[in-house]
Amino acid sequence: MRPRRMVVALLAAAAAVFGLAACGESEQVVVYTQGKYQGKPDTKPWDNAPLAYGGNDWTKGDKASWEKQINTRNLGQNEYRRIYNQ
Amino acid sequence: MLTRTHLAGWCFALMALVAPSAGFAQAAPGSAQQQAERAATQPGNNAPVWREVRSGQANYTTAQGREAGVLVQSSGDTWRQIRNGPITVYGGWLVVLVALAIAAFYLVRGPIKTHDRPTGNLIYRFSVVERWAHWTLAISFCLLAVTGLTILFGKHVLLPVIGYTLFAWLTLLGKNVHNFVGPIFMASIVVFFLIFVKDNWPSKGDLTWIASAGGLFTGKHVPSGRFNAGEKSWFWMGVVFLGIVSSVSGLVLLFPNFEQLRLTMQQAHVVHSVSGILFMTLSLGHIYVGTIGIEGSYQAMRTGYVDESWAKEHHELWYEDAKKQGANRPAAGGGAVPAGAAQARRDE
Amino acid sequence: MARMKFLCDAERCIECNGCVTACKNENEVPWGVNRRRVVTINDGVIGAEKSMSVACMHCSDAPCMAVCPVDCFYRTEDGVVLHDKDLCIGCGYCFYACPFGAPQFPQAGAFGMRGKMDKCTFCAGGPEADRSESEFKKYGRNRLAEGKLPACAEMCSTKALLGGDGDVIADIYRERVTRRGKGAEVWGWGTAYGPGKPGAQPPAAGGKS
Ligand code: SF4
Ligand code: SF4
Repeated sequence: MRPRRMVVALLAAAAAVFGLAACGESEQVVVYTQGKYQGKPDTKPWDNAPLAYGGNDWTKGDKASWEKQINTRNLGQNEYRRIYNQ
Repeated sequence: MLTRTHLAGWCFALMALVAPSAGFAQAAPGSAQQQAERAATQPGNNAPVWREVRSGQANYTTAQGREAGVLVQSSGDTWRQIRNGPITVYGGWLVVLVALAIAAFYLVRGPIKTHDRPTGNLIYRFSVVERWAHWTLAISFCLLAVTGLTILFGKHVLLPVIGYTLFAWLTLLGKNVHNFVGPIFMASIVVFFLIFVKDNWPSKGDLTWIASAGGLFTGKHVPSGRFNAGEKSWFWMGVVFLGIVSSVSGLVLLFPNFEQLRLTMQQAHVVHSVSGILFMTLSLGHIYVGTIGIEGSYQAMRTGYVDESWAKEHHELWYEDAKKQGANRPAAGGGAVPAGAAQARRDE
Repeated sequence: MARMKFLCDAERCIECNGCVTACKNENEVPWGVNRRRVVTINDGVIGAEKSMSVACMHCSDAPCMAVCPVDCFYRTEDGVVLHDKDLCIGCGYCFYACPFGAPQFPQAGAFGMRGKMDKCTFCAGGPEADRSESEFKKYGRNRLAEGKLPACAEMCSTKALLGGDGDVIADIYRERVTRRGKGAEVWGWGTAYGPGKPGAQPPAAGGKS
């Protein structure tokens, strides 16, 4: 009885120590599953339909087309192109 | 996994967190001057400005708010590394390993029983006031410990099990419990100290007691006064020293409305969590001997009474005194022998 | 893949606080909460004054995320650091850890009563349904879901504050720097080759840049 209990206690100790090694810093990775980022719900911006006004253009659900829209818009912040080259 | 380099890094980080407190908010002299000169000789070179930014000093801003003028504070990430590093990892190990060591000790040694048969003669050991003081302190301590552990380790231990929503709800509750029970704990430390300090002064037999660890391993009998040296160490190192350290650092964290700097809060947090973890670790020992470790000790604080043979075996000098003064009758205001005491006697 | 970033050009920022106002207006943040602020270094010293607009920088290794006891932060696929106010317990740890003082609290009350943390969302809202009323109330406008970029950067009058895909704004900035001057006026020239003519002047007012 006694030695078996000791073994159980030692195993529990080992498990606790290994468990603790995972504490501290966790990886800050982006995991998106079932509409959740690491457990927090959010929708991706490209999963919305473009607004009816403002000349936005992308296909709902298509990331590449949304990125193109954002990039076009981003270039509006470059006044060398926005003002002089157009 | 945890190499020496890690350790060195953490030590360095700790120093970095402590050091700036001395020279905080000290403007680099003439850095504006330097920048003006630099702009003349090397146009476009803003090195002095960036040095100033990295120094963490406050600059001009129209925004209201704590340290709004500080563009970059470096100590935040240092604090993060200390908190998520040694405090979480070593602190967690300490609590778990001590708990396991105590469990192992219990498995090997079992509870320390009273050798002689109980005489049935009860001696009054703790007055009502003393018991109230003890249990207020003890219960508030346990609430603080559990909620504090949740805030530090819950993310790694509890959150994966119970999920985000429930865990956040519990932690919010825990945070408020921690914040409002804290002051009760502080007040009860003061009361507890005033009540118990006179019986906790170091006395002659203490060194012998410590040398033989109170007969914990040998089972040998070591005479002691009302409190033995183990209880006295717990009183002075735990309740008094760690109690004061946790209370003061806790007060700094509890009232952010005094515009404390972030550095102050980071330092207070490090002190608070280290002292809290040590406090909990020590308390595990006290809780063990006070409950399952030594037969009859829980009943003493629960009912106020101990059996004569218990008193003789655990606190012989006090027993002699008590017998001389006839303390086996309830002290004035102590009330009659409670039912629980009789029950306890039968259990033994 | 887009990774959203802010960049503030200290050579251009004129401390007009337009970005601060734009942010407040666009997101209708409460009193006492400043998601963005402008800090002026060497205020009033001729030739040495520089201003910087700062908000959450959406760190790649975010200290706020690392210390949050309820793990309410998350990083989106486009590199924006967001948080869930329903989970936040208002402990203030993110504010202690953040290098830029970005997390804000509606209160700073006794007994640690702070309310829910609020910070710049890169105009990307939060966990509520995109462009919904409840998202707007809690987190402000979700401009990314409208195909737009953060209001502060988009309306910056001098284009000191750039915001968007890190690669694109890096390109814009690079182009700007190469146009800023030539010879001894180019950025870093003096550092690399020492001072030009003795007593050289900083670029005259109204010059390029
Ligand atoms: S709140 Fe601060 S630490 Fe967190 S991502 Fe933003 S800038 Fe980085
Ligand atoms: S204040 Fe909220 S977001 Fe910030 S660390 Fe605490 S729980 Fe997390």
